[in-house]
Formats: sequence, C-alpha cells, structure tokens
Amino acid sequence: MKKGMYISLLITCCVLGLLLALQFRTTTRNMPHDRPQVLTQELKQLEEDYQMLMAEKDNLQTKLQEIKDGRDKTYEVLQDELKKLRYAAGLEPVTGPGIEVVMDNMPENKRPEYDPKLFSITYLDILRLVNELRVAGAEAISINGQRLVATSEIRNAGNFIDVNLTRLTAPYIIKAIGDPEKLASSLKIKGGLVDTLEEWSISVTVTQKDEITVPAYAGPLELNYARPLQKGEDQ
Amino acid sequence: MGIKKYQWAITMAALLFGLVLGLQFQVNESLQQDTTTERIERLAQQIEHKKMELKTLQAQVEELRKKLDQETERPELRRIKNKINEVGILAGTVPAAGPGIEVTLNDSDAVLEPGENPNLYVLHDEDVLKVLNELRAAGAEALAINDQRMIATSEIICIGPTILTNGNKRLAAPFVITAIGNPDTLYSALFMKGGVAEQLKQWGIQVSAKKVEKVVIPGYNGAITYNYSGGERA
Repeated sequence: MKKGMYISLLITCCVLGLLLALQFRTTTRNMPHDRPQVLTQELKQLEEDYQMLMAEKDNLQTKLQEIKDGRDKTYEVLQDELKKLRYAAGLEPVTGPGIEVVMDNMPENKRPEYDPKLFSITYLDILRLVNELRVAGAEAISINGQRLVATSEIRNAGNFIDVNLTRLTAPYIIKAIGDPEKLASSLKIKGGLVDTLEEWSISVTVTQKDEITVPAYAGPLELNYARPLQKGEDQ
Repeated sequence: MGIKKYQWAITMAALLFGLVLGLQFQVNESLQQDTTTERIERLAQQIEHKKMELKTLQAQVEELRKKLDQETERPELRRIKNKINEVGILAGTVPAAGPGIEVTLNDSDAVLEPGENPNLYVLHDEDVLKVLNELRAAGAEALAINDQRMIATSEIICIGPTILTNGNKRLAAPFVITAIGNPDTLYSALFMKGGVAEQLKQWGIQVSAKKVEKVVIPGYNGAITYNYSGGERA
C-alpha cells in the first residue's frame, strides 16, 4: 500500500514536471510553425516576378535594337534626301564645266554722249541673261559670288544691283554650270543677248570653262510665311 | 502522517526527473526550432536579395521603356524631317502653304489700231520675269505660275499665248502667279507707283492681284538632274 502511494506520487510528480517543462516551452516558442512556408512561397513568387521581368527586359531590348537599326536606316535615307535637297536648293557649292560671263559698263567717256545712265547695265539685262542661261540648261548660277536660288531677286539699287539682299557692283561676273557650248551659244547667237547688250555699249565677254565653281547660297534660310503643306491638307 | 526524509527525496527526484524529461523535450524542440530559425533567416535573406535584384531589374525595364518611347518618338528624325521641309521649300520640292497673293496676268485686250505691232501687246518673257523678280524682292518664299513651282533653274519662255517653263511645261493664259509671303508687302511691291503692274498696264496687259490668307503652292514635280555639276552628290 505504501508502495502504491509512492508510485502514484512519482507519476504525479513526473506529470507535474512535464507540465512545467511544457509551460516553459510554450512560452519560449514565439515563431509560428508556418513561417518558413510563407517565406518560401514569397520567395517563389519573387522568383516568378523576376523571371517575368527578365523576359520583358529581353523583349524590350530586342525591340529597341530593331527600332534603332530601323531608325539608323531611316536616318541614313533622310540624310541622303537632305543632302540632295541642299544641292537642289543651292546650299552646297558645285563644280563643273560651264561658262563665265563678264558684263561691264563702258567707261562713261566712251559711252554715247547724251545719257550715260541709259547705257549702263540694269537689273533687267542680268535678269534676261540669267533666264537665257536657264533656258540653255544651266544647273547652277552665281553673280559676283551670289548663288541664285529660287527666291533670289536681281534688283536695281542706284548704280548697283542687289542680289540676295547683297549689293553688287560692275563688273558683273556670272558663272553658270552646264554644257559650255550650249550656254555660250545661247548668249552669242546672232541677234541674241550679247549683240543686244553690245548695241547698248555694254561689254560682254563669254568664256567657256572646263571647270568652274559656283558657291553656295549663304543667305538666310528661315521661313516666316511658308510652311510645308500637311499631308491630307485640302488644296 | 509524518513525511519521511526518503519520501521527500523521492518526490524531489521525481520532480527533477519530470523537469529533465520536459526540458529534454524542449531541447529537442528548440533544436528543431534552431534549424527553423536558420531557415527562416536564410529565406529572409534570399527574399531580401531577390527583392533588390527585382528592384534593379524593374529600374532597367523602366529605363528601357522610356528609351523605347523616345526611340519611337525619334526626336532626331523629327529634326531632320523639319530640316528637309525647310530646305525642300527653298529647293521647291516640298509643297508649301501660307499667306500670300495671287497675281493674274492676261494678254492685252486692247483693240489694235491698223499698223500697230501686235507683238507689243502680248506678254513677253520679260514681263513675267519682272513680276516674279519683284515678288522675290518683296520676300516671296515660294512661287508658282499656274501651279508650276518656280525653282532655282526655272526658265520663262513666252511663245505666243503660252509660257514654257521647267523644261517642257506648257502653260496657257490666263497666267496665275502665286506667291507665299507677306500679302501686303507683295501686293504693294507690284502695284506701287511706277511699279511693274503700271509698266505692264501701259501695254494693255491685264494685271490683277488679290491678297490671300492661304496660298497653296505645289512641289516641283520634275526631276532635278545634274549632268554637269560635280560634287560629292554626283
């Protein structure tokens, strides 16, 4: 009987100790059991996001490269076009065969006496001459270094002539690139401009050249009124 | 009932045993817990690392998107296109629009006296050249006759009732010269006292002009060929 009591006491104490230990354990453990799983899940999600972004990055890089290549090509094409236009507009100097025309007034004492002014070069003489050269196929023309572009005026300014808003004085040296033979004969044709001008006591010498250079237009470029017509804009 | 010494001892031993047992459990448990904590730490580090990588990647992708936007916007392409338009208007290849005037020239309607030279009363190259020249002097930025754009090499040949220009383009009267520029300046340049309009009117050539808010001038549609002009382009 005493033995039985000891045993029960022993068991009770064991249980008590266990409970005590359990109590310790439950209080010290504060991390939830499922934490690692949550974290693993999160990491997995992050990895997925990362892979997706990586694919997006590759995709964007490929696109960018394609566009860059395309743009480089487009840019090249446009640059070529711009260059051609600059030549057509007269913004580049050109060299080639052609003629040089020197127009000069006679010394005033050698002109017919009644009105020396009447026998001096006017803008109209040059206007006519330039038109003749254009008819004969001149590809580029300059007057005393002033390149004639689509908007170039030739204007009387007293005893001078203005071209591209620049004052020029006689002698006028007109350079034209084109077929030298054709250009020269268009002026020297019988009854042509040279004959007419000489009747007015204006000396004109025409020289054919294997190579002359017509300078580029150096005047202002900006447009204040004209703008490119938009595609689809009604006429 | 007196408690004997040995009974105390047993009680203490049992309690101790229980505690040890319990602690053993706990140690086992905390050993397990240690590996869990380590794992959690490792995972947390990995997550932190991944998050940083992700952030960098996101920044890169963001940067790429921005670049792509810029590329599709192509600022330098727009610049060169603008330049092409500007130079093209001077070259005459680009159709242009803007304020300006419309000048109409027509042969004389004068009834000739017998013996008068009819040639005096028709439009000559010069008349047209003068009008164009006057408009250019007044700042015209683009010009055309009957929609034939005037470029740097455009010639004017009047033959009877027609004008030949730009190589082989035959234009018929009435001749309408369009010019883009300041309408007032262009108009007064032609119609000032002793100006071109007055000179032409002396020969009975009909000159009329109207200022227009919007003139549309087509582009030169021929080929601009260079057979003689050398240069890089040739």
